[in-house]
Amino acid sequence: MLENLYLDGKVVVITGGGTGLGLEMVRALTRSGANLAIAGRRAGPIETARDEVIAAGQDAIAVPTDVSKSSDADALIQATMDHFGRVDVLINNAAMVAENVLKPIWEISDDDWDTAMSVNLSGAFYCARAAAKTMADAGKGKIINVASGFGLRGGRDIYMYCTSKGGVIQLTRVLSFSLARYGITANSIVPGFIPTIDPSADINRTLPQSGDFLPTGKLGKPEDLGPIAVFLSSDASDYMTGEMFILDGAGLASGIAPTGHAPVAGLEP
Amino acid sequence: MPTNIPKYLPAEYSLRGHTSIVASSGGKETPQLAAALAEAGANVFAVGRHQDAVDAIRSAVSATTGLATPGYAGRWDSPDGASDVLASFASSYPRVDILVNDTRSFFAKPAAEISMEEWDELNSRNVRATFMLNQAIGRQMLAQRYGRIVNVISNLAERAVINCSAYSATQAAVLSLTRSFAVEWGRSEIRVNAVGSGWSTADDIPLDTQREELLVRYTPMRRKGHPRDLAAMLVYLCSPHCDYPSGQPVYIDGGSNAHP
Repeated sequence: MLENLYLDGKVVVITGGGTGLGLEMVRALTRSGANLAIAGRRAGPIETARDEVIAAGQDAIAVPTDVSKSSDADALIQATMDHFGRVDVLINNAAMVAENVLKPIWEISDDDWDTAMSVNLSGAFYCARAAAKTMADAGKGKIINVASGFGLRGGRDIYMYCTSKGGVIQLTRVLSFSLARYGITANSIVPGFIPTIDPSADINRTLPQSGDFLPTGKLGKPEDLGPIAVFLSSDASDYMTGEMFILDGAGLASGIAPTGHAPVAGLEP
Repeated sequence: MPTNIPKYLPAEYSLRGHTSIVASSGGKETPQLAAALAEAGANVFAVGRHQDAVDAIRSAVSATTGLATPGYAGRWDSPDGASDVLASFASSYPRVDILVNDTRSFFAKPAAEISMEEWDELNSRNVRATFMLNQAIGRQMLAQRYGRIVNVISNLAERAVINCSAYSATQAAVLSLTRSFAVEWGRSEIRVNAVGSGWSTADDIPLDTQREELLVRYTPMRRKGHPRDLAAMLVYLCSPHCDYPSGQPVYIDGGSNAHP
């Protein structure tokens, strides 16, 4: 019953695939037999990732891509079609995390807002748009959007990241409903706190530095995304669409609180 | 990677060496879910309200592993019942790593006509029994500082449909318990999640026949769910690598939950 987890040469396009969460998803997908088109802004990390996939016995290309430019998104899908002849899975993982978050709203410039929204939300839309027609023509496809717990809850002064990630979750739902008739599924992966970014980045001042405030007592690791990326890329997930897979140490099930428990109280008479 | 993990199965999905208790209300889905756990390498102990439910799990697991599968038949929606389950389990296995609780009795009736006897019986089977089993096995998991619990629920935990007021309330209650156990037991390396199904069947019904039903035509994927649609996700949620996810439902329902 579980054979359909194996990816068996499926072609997966992943943005932001050279570093952090993306790189760990690339590694897990490779172990499950996927071939990869790895996109990222900088050539260095995605070329290293490509070489790692090829050394592991799968095929891969590295495609320098700025997802906030729709022409780059179109070129990414075209390069994948040119090399592999198909696109089975798109993972929209690229995102800007290190925005200038610690400003009050009246100090956020139009450019601050537009830049973050265009990478995190427009980038996912552009790539989905570019891939969806190809998938529809094939009668099958999978779109996986990496959102965030901040897409479901608000963070103090984190306007663009929270808003764009909430938009990604909604984009997923609309894609799922609209593309179901073409055999295409769309789901979100919703990570909680997983340290990957430069520890000196501003945003770290608003994020927990340990798991002390999470019910499970620990932060996530980038490798935690691997098994779910494989599941959502595989035929095993064919009936799941429009949904979220949340991995966050039970943070969203409760809330981040220093005590985490209510005082014991007996039943009222 | 050990050679006994099949190539198709990611290492993170291996349950080899882990022992599960799979509890069923008698639905035809549970045996196939139990077989998936066995395929991933888990030992299975079958629990059901009736002998038939236990036997169905045992034969599905034995067909996968070729081994006899121990089990317990009887109600467990009381403290004595739950401790009987554990005593019976202890005569077969030394330790429980996994609980899969698929104890949903479906019930549909206009809210105005539901009797208190029906309400109480449904809540006892779906909510009280879930609490008792989670609590009894949770105590063992707390003592050993490890466990994986998956409660199988319906997407009616999230929305209403006519004639399902009582059933939906039980599913929302199980989802709430899932969150609470996850939060309360998280520091003891216990992870508690839910898998949610939609309109589903355990039979292989031709698509054309399925689509004669209005609810199938309103499901974005235009077919009913099947236990095989839940199998891989269930296995992952039971695995030791499922460390960061906890306290959440995963709906695999053909897009119904995201549908307007």
